[in-house]
Amino acid sequence: MEVGERCPAGASLALEVTCRHQRAACYARNITLAPLPDSTTIHTLHHAFMSFPSPSIALRFRSSVATVALLAPFVIGCAPKADSGKPRVVSVSKQINEFIYAIGAEDVLVGRDLTSIYPPQIKQVPSVGYHRALSAEGIISTKPTLLITDGNVGPEPVLEQVRKVGIPVVTLAPGGTVDSAQALLTKLGQQFHREHAADSVLALWRAGMDSLWRDTVQWSGPKRPRVMIIHFGQMINNYLALKRGGSADAMLHWAGAENAIDSVGGMARLSPELIARAAPDVIIATDVGFDRYGSAEKFKTLPGVALTPAGQSDRIYRVDEQELMYFGPRTPAVVRKFAAWFHPSLYGGRATAGRATLTPGT
Amino acid sequence: MVEVEHVSYAVGRARILHDVSVRFQPRKLNVLLGPNGAGKSTLLKIATGLLTPTAGLVRYMLPQGARALDTFPVDALARTRAVLSQHVEVAFPLAVEDVVLMGRYPHYGRTPTARDLEIVAAALDLVGMTDFRGRVYPTLSGGEQQKVQLARVLAQIWNEGESPRGQKCLFLDEPTSNLDVHYQLHLLEIARGLRDVDCTVIAVLHDLNMALQHGDAFFLLDGGRVVLETEDATTIPRDLLERVFRVRADRAVDSETGESFWRFRL
Amino acid sequence: MIPRTRRGHAGVYLTLVGLLAASLVLSAAVGAFTFTPARIATLTAQLLGWVPAAPADALDRNVFIQLRLPRVLLAGLTGAVLGVSGTLMQGLFRNPIVEPGLVGTSAGAAFGAAIVFVFGAGTFTRPLGTLAVPVLAFAGAFAATMIVYRLSTAFGKVHVFTLLLAGIAVNAVCGAGTGFLSYIARDPQARNITFWNLGTFTTADWRGVTLVAICFVVCFGWSLRAGKALNALMLGEEEAAYLGIDPRRLVMQLLVANTLMVAVATAMVGVIAFVGLVIPHVLRMLKSSDYTFLLPASALLGAVTMEIIDVVARLIIPPAELPIGIITAVVGAPVFLAILLRQTRQGGAWLQG
Repeated sequence: MEVGERCPAGASLALEVTCRHQRAACYARNITLAPLPDSTTIHTLHHAFMSFPSPSIALRFRSSVATVALLAPFVIGCAPKADSGKPRVVSVSKQINEFIYAIGAEDVLVGRDLTSIYPPQIKQVPSVGYHRALSAEGIISTKPTLLITDGNVGPEPVLEQVRKVGIPVVTLAPGGTVDSAQALLTKLGQQFHREHAADSVLALWRAGMDSLWRDTVQWSGPKRPRVMIIHFGQMINNYLALKRGGSADAMLHWAGAENAIDSVGGMARLSPELIARAAPDVIIATDVGFDRYGSAEKFKTLPGVALTPAGQSDRIYRVDEQELMYFGPRTPAVVRKFAAWFHPSLYGGRATAGRATLTPGT
Repeated sequence: MVEVEHVSYAVGRARILHDVSVRFQPRKLNVLLGPNGAGKSTLLKIATGLLTPTAGLVRYMLPQGARALDTFPVDALARTRAVLSQHVEVAFPLAVEDVVLMGRYPHYGRTPTARDLEIVAAALDLVGMTDFRGRVYPTLSGGEQQKVQLARVLAQIWNEGESPRGQKCLFLDEPTSNLDVHYQLHLLEIARGLRDVDCTVIAVLHDLNMALQHGDAFFLLDGGRVVLETEDATTIPRDLLERVFRVRADRAVDSETGESFWRFRL
Repeated sequence: MIPRTRRGHAGVYLTLVGLLAASLVLSAAVGAFTFTPARIATLTAQLLGWVPAAPADALDRNVFIQLRLPRVLLAGLTGAVLGVSGTLMQGLFRNPIVEPGLVGTSAGAAFGAAIVFVFGAGTFTRPLGTLAVPVLAFAGAFAATMIVYRLSTAFGKVHVFTLLLAGIAVNAVCGAGTGFLSYIARDPQARNITFWNLGTFTTADWRGVTLVAICFVVCFGWSLRAGKALNALMLGEEEAAYLGIDPRRLVMQLLVANTLMVAVATAMVGVIAFVGLVIPHVLRMLKSSDYTFLLPASALLGAVTMEIIDVVARLIIPPAELPIGIITAVVGAPVFLAILLRQTRQGGAWLQG
């Protein structure tokens, strides 16, 4: 972005801006600081924007007191927690939380579920428990004005209990397609009056997807590498393999691979026979499951893994669950990351940490 | 008095008692004798009302008339007759006096009366276990436990001077089998003391000599039939004993007391 | 039983009632929302209409009345149910290591409830509506208990050994059934089973409280009259029969009452183990084995214990809650082992039927 260019997030131009390097994603965020008594003080709006796929960009604009004066009402009006009439939202869905941060509405968030850990700032928001083991009192004690779920919550009576106390509960099902996920983002934009931000995020997302689908052709050859995605189910304390159908599988497909598991629907419990029959060329493990072993080398000790082509050629990669389990603005970047892993020949050699990926420390 | 009339008992195809008719007199220690499997315990249980005979009936002769056992309501029966079993196992830490108090259960509803508590004390005294009243039952020796059970059983049929005087029955089912000779004799002595208070006492005893020494009326069973009924121990024929018990029997006479007893060998 | 110890009983009752009152207040006060005793009093007064309801208190009042109060009551009732149930079972089977879990009651209830969770929207549950879970839980618990009972009274007597072994078998079958159901269950249903299987009071509502309360009062009242008979049963079935008690009828009646109580409570809160085992044992150690004392005392002590456990469940990992079953297992299993050790050391008395 150049000086004087219109910021898609709607922020004004003459502002001090620092970009924070995020993972392959695009965000527009407004953080306002509490207005200081001295009127000549500069309010700094941090504006993080990164156009895909280039690395970090630092943008500088000259600050202007006049702009500050212009923006002051806007700033004060958006100060979080200073106003008692402000909405207080508890959201117990990873996807919805990520989207809320994407459209810059995170000020309203007063509670999240335990497993929502993206973006990292969300960890400062208090957790109300695991989304399948919620406690009504825990949610209500944050004094929310709204509870949002994506339908994947338990135990069921908790929603009823929250309603009984007078707190509205909204369930926004994300659907299983990119279109429905994008519709969800739009809906959230409307919910939190951040339509503008939502629109810009969507525009970038769509552009990313279009570009992705154009590039998909070069990755899809007659022989697709077989990829297995290994997830860790915390409720059942066991490893699972993702089957076909579903967002992760779609991403595999776009990246020019095929799911090593032949059957459709949900997840299968991992067993050495299953792994042997699947014989994946590449294994992708989600964060919790991977971190239990700590490294790709140790992960090979999971029964059955060492004998697979993936294990033998050391093609085991770590990915965050939230990059994989639903469609979001980061999806284009994630798929490209996969493509680099799956088709090392196209990217000039083995795709390892840092190279041709935007995810450091894989 | 307890009348057993033409009682038969069978379980499935096995016939345990064949047409037994006996009469147990009050004020006597009636003893059932016989080898294992003769049906003594079964006959006893039928006489107590625990088992129902497949044929025949049992009658209790009460002052107000005879009463067939199957017409007795359970609680009235419990107040009329009591049974001391061979061994009562209690798995919980009960106090001795609480065990004896259970003998009074058929007599009171929710809470025991003062009279009930008096009877408990008297029963303990009769068996010589007053000092044990606060002890925990499972910690007692076999003999002590059996005496406590006897106290309970006595408390159950304690004669309270009802008018007209009820006639109570006391059944003893091999009560001395696990006891040493001291306790055996003590128990039998108490049993004998009871028959003097208008009680019908019926006992199954294993030790033949002890039975003959203490009993008043003897009923010898073999294979589910009564083969001998007598009140005179000396008239028991030797060859009958040998046949029933499948042993060799010799009668001997105690040179000091003049009492006769049996010596057995295979 | 004997007057001088009866006065001691009164002392124990008073202590237990006092403890219950204290634990009720504690349980009502503690949690993600904290209510001081004064606040509790105010809100209760508002609830009863003695004091006009202040609109500013609306959220607090709603939370207290809709969430906290039913939960406190449900915890107390469940504790009472489990305590009495343990006492009853130990009296009926003359064995100190018996509780509803052992005879298949809890497992059967769990299986019945799992059926509703997995096949929930089926036609046979729709007419029952929200009563589907307790009704099917009772059906499951009753079927399991009856199977065990029938197996162990084959020849007219209750054989304790057979009963315990049959209980193990039925437990295994019900457990396998529930496990299978949770394996084939689609995700939302499986969530319900796994969460509920460990016992929780978070989903308490007035409906559940009323249901459990009614069942408890009826069944407990019924079983209170059997105190003397249970005492006599300690001597053995024959001895009890000689004392004028019909052991088979007694066992049957009390089994039905017990199963009803436990099944309904399990349907509401899930599977909670060890309470029925430990409560009567503690009371026996502290005071007396007399069932006319044990039955009411175990209701009180059970309620107190459950309130305290529920408070702990709320405080350990706020704002989330630990399942109750985990706490009772952590506390109860060592106690169970200690009882086992003691019994074995004292000899095989407890093995006799």
